[in-house]
Amino acid sequence: MNAAAKARVDKIGAALAAAADATAYLADDAKTEIRICAGTACHASGRVSLRKAVDKALADRGLTETVKIVETGCHGFCQQGPIIVLRPKGIFYPRLKPQDIDEIIETSVVGDGVVERLLYRHPQTDEVLALEKDIPFYALQKRVVLSLNGKIDPYSIDDYLAHDGYKALAKVLTEADPTAIIAEIERSGLRGRGGAGFPTARKWRSCRSNPGEKHYIICNADEGDPGAFMDRSVLEGNPHSVIEGMTIAAYAIGADNGPVEGYVYVRHEYPFAVERLRAALRDARERGLLGKDILGSGFDFDIRINQGAGAFVCGESTALTLSIEGHRGMPRGKHIRTAAHGLWGQPTNLNNVETYVNVPWIINHGAEEFASVGTDTSKGTKIFSLTGKVVNGGLIEVPMGATLREVIFDIGGGMLPGREFKAVQLGGPSGGCLPASLLDEPIDFESLVAAGSMMGSGGMVVVDDSTCMVDFAKFFLKFTAEESCGKCVPCRVGTTRMLEILEHISAGSATLGDLDLLERLADDVVEGSLCALGGSAPNPVLSTLRYFRDEVVAHVVEHRCPAKVCRPLIRYTIDKEACTGCRACFTACPVGAVTGERKEPHRINQKLCIKCDACRQACRFDAVRVESGKPSLVEGSRK
Amino acid sequence: MGTKDKGSALYEVLKGIDFERRQLVGKKPRVGLFDLVRKDDGDYRCYSCTLCERICPVDCIELEYCPEFAEEPFDFEAARAAALATLPGESCGAASACVAGEAPDQFVPEIELKLLDPVIAGIRSGSGLVEALHATQETYGYLPRVALEEIAEEMCIPFSRVFGVASFYSQFRLRPVGKYVIDVCMGTACHVAGAPLVVEAFSQELEVPVGGTTADGLFSLHTVNCVGACALAPVVRIGNDETLGRMGPTEARRLVRKLRKQEAAR
Repeated sequence: MNAAAKARVDKIGAALAAAADATAYLADDAKTEIRICAGTACHASGRVSLRKAVDKALADRGLTETVKIVETGCHGFCQQGPIIVLRPKGIFYPRLKPQDIDEIIETSVVGDGVVERLLYRHPQTDEVLALEKDIPFYALQKRVVLSLNGKIDPYSIDDYLAHDGYKALAKVLTEADPTAIIAEIERSGLRGRGGAGFPTARKWRSCRSNPGEKHYIICNADEGDPGAFMDRSVLEGNPHSVIEGMTIAAYAIGADNGPVEGYVYVRHEYPFAVERLRAALRDARERGLLGKDILGSGFDFDIRINQGAGAFVCGESTALTLSIEGHRGMPRGKHIRTAAHGLWGQPTNLNNVETYVNVPWIINHGAEEFASVGTDTSKGTKIFSLTGKVVNGGLIEVPMGATLREVIFDIGGGMLPGREFKAVQLGGPSGGCLPASLLDEPIDFESLVAAGSMMGSGGMVVVDDSTCMVDFAKFFLKFTAEESCGKCVPCRVGTTRMLEILEHISAGSATLGDLDLLERLADDVVEGSLCALGGSAPNPVLSTLRYFRDEVVAHVVEHRCPAKVCRPLIRYTIDKEACTGCRACFTACPVGAVTGERKEPHRINQKLCIKCDACRQACRFDAVRVESGKPSLVEGSRK
Repeated sequence: MGTKDKGSALYEVLKGIDFERRQLVGKKPRVGLFDLVRKDDGDYRCYSCTLCERICPVDCIELEYCPEFAEEPFDFEAARAAALATLPGESCGAASACVAGEAPDQFVPEIELKLLDPVIAGIRSGSGLVEALHATQETYGYLPRVALEEIAEEMCIPFSRVFGVASFYSQFRLRPVGKYVIDVCMGTACHVAGAPLVVEAFSQELEVPVGGTTADGLFSLHTVNCVGACALAPVVRIGNDETLGRMGPTEARRLVRKLRKQEAAR
């Protein structure tokens, strides 16, 4: 090593060491800490009042100085919120109420025991599990991207620095070889986590090779897929990792290539994520980790936040750049890619949040270690947001190639009691529904596409027999029809026409010929659309027709909705035997369709009934029945 | 050539100058009842292009088809009295000032353009259009037309482009909203868990469709694509701060009643 290189190593090493504030409190697994999850879901479940209760309980016992409270990012186990984890032991308390806090502090912080009634119980075996690491939801995951979520305070840059933060950045700045970074990423086999799975290294190289006055690095945090929230959790729980990943990308693409500038395009619906990212950017700038002359290396890079405004199509790269420029987010044809002509007409690299967060890990641990996890074509781990009718909903990070069954039944704890698995929807409005027969499929980019779905950003919604597949497909198509920007005809008109056919199916007024028309139309929309929104919009419909054709045909031929969801095909009745005449349904009915005397069986006036389900929910004796499948009762026939 | 030669170009120019003079040095424009201007033959110059109704920033002009209008002579005083009795003065915040024909002392225009100054300053320091619109909406609760015009002028872009962007994104609202903005999440997880029933319950309880605001100006009902709290589905957000999980139709109705009671107590 020559003297100049050594001087550079020393300089950057010293700058990184100087960036940390030695006096700051550092979150540590070995210390006595109370970790409160401050993710959006736990916030909605009452995190604020919990924090107040903890503060008060500690103050009452004079423990404010000795026991630290750390408000961490999302722990991932959102269904069990609000969550508190007590360190050093790692005792996990889910679904807490402020009145439980006193007891917990007394028993587990002052004393050495656990409050058994408040601990997590295994959904199947009913076994009490006190420690976080024993809970199957956590034990079976492999956390790379989410590794620091739930451990560090997202507002503390020192916490991140103490957990090897910005070490990867210092490493690449020291080595000063941008092409080597890209080669390393290529060896790791990292593919974009936003949906399409494009090799990251190829994207970077292509952007790097395109000349321009300035190169732009954009982080796509416009997590529009309904049902996916991993990007939000990463931004909320560990914003510095995104900044570090983007800075490394900027260095790889633009270090010797002219100026580079970064943007994070984040949804406006995520106020916490924006707030924490903003704080993180400010801290990183203050400590010399962002902005001019990063860590004394002479490399300049800064990141701006740009908030979206609720347009799903803005997750598409060209629409996203237009939106940053202050236009309507309408995609353009991609014969020239954004890597050549993106934001303000300059070469632009666009990656997903999760992709960027994988980058520092690869640099720190080496490409080989990253590539040792996953399948032949899909490397590393992937986060899924598991929601729907499962016991343990939340964020799950597993190696690529894990099967759906492992994710849903082993980690997710299976279906809610008394429910039967029907389908799992992957990839949001661009993906498809997979039936129980495909549960043992490995999850990787290729297998999912072959099965008629796609990885998407990783939303995984599990549905049971109470969900009608026609209604479900209709939901997604309605979403894409509404979110279609309207620029190209196949998408704008095609999705609307498809939606109309689906509406006829769910009204029982379609014919079998309509199903063929639906499939033909779907093909046309896929072929003719300008961008991926239209190109993948028919996927939910096509996968429904592929795997759940029987159910669709039941709507068309028998005018029956097996899941009893499609309103024109169902009717509410009261079982005379079971009804006790308690008048609960009478009170609940918003339109006065329920009649009957007290202590006498009630009746539902079918003409007035709007099928709002209020009576069924109000009934404590299970006397309100939903029926479907009597053609004579079907209303709204087209014929 | 006299001023009575109404067809000539000079007459139009003079008229323009006179208009400018009145605008610049004349009395302040007053809020008043705007009656239709007539031609010399007594017929109305208005040809019902409906532009006024469409552009009124506070929606206080309503057009109705009125066949007898053409036949009956227009009794100005009677019309004024009738309008005074029926017009909802609160809609423009001027408390019937327009009908009375004079500006009351405490008349505060609803759109305080001064509040837009930070937004304008933001634009000057390089914020984009979408950011500027977000900041405007945070200030007023919606995007008033005058504010959009101001932004267009500041950014030196046509108003049509600003309006185009404002109308493209679903988060931007072009109408004022109520005190409580109820956002029902319509994400996949919420849909599966019964969000449509929740929306319906809200809609029935508030007696407004989705996107509407109640007449008392208390509630606005909106849907949002996904707030990312899927494990708590169905999710409802009140304003920007409060997120409620595991909602059902009954909880929805109860929530509205509770908020109504709270407001009544105030």
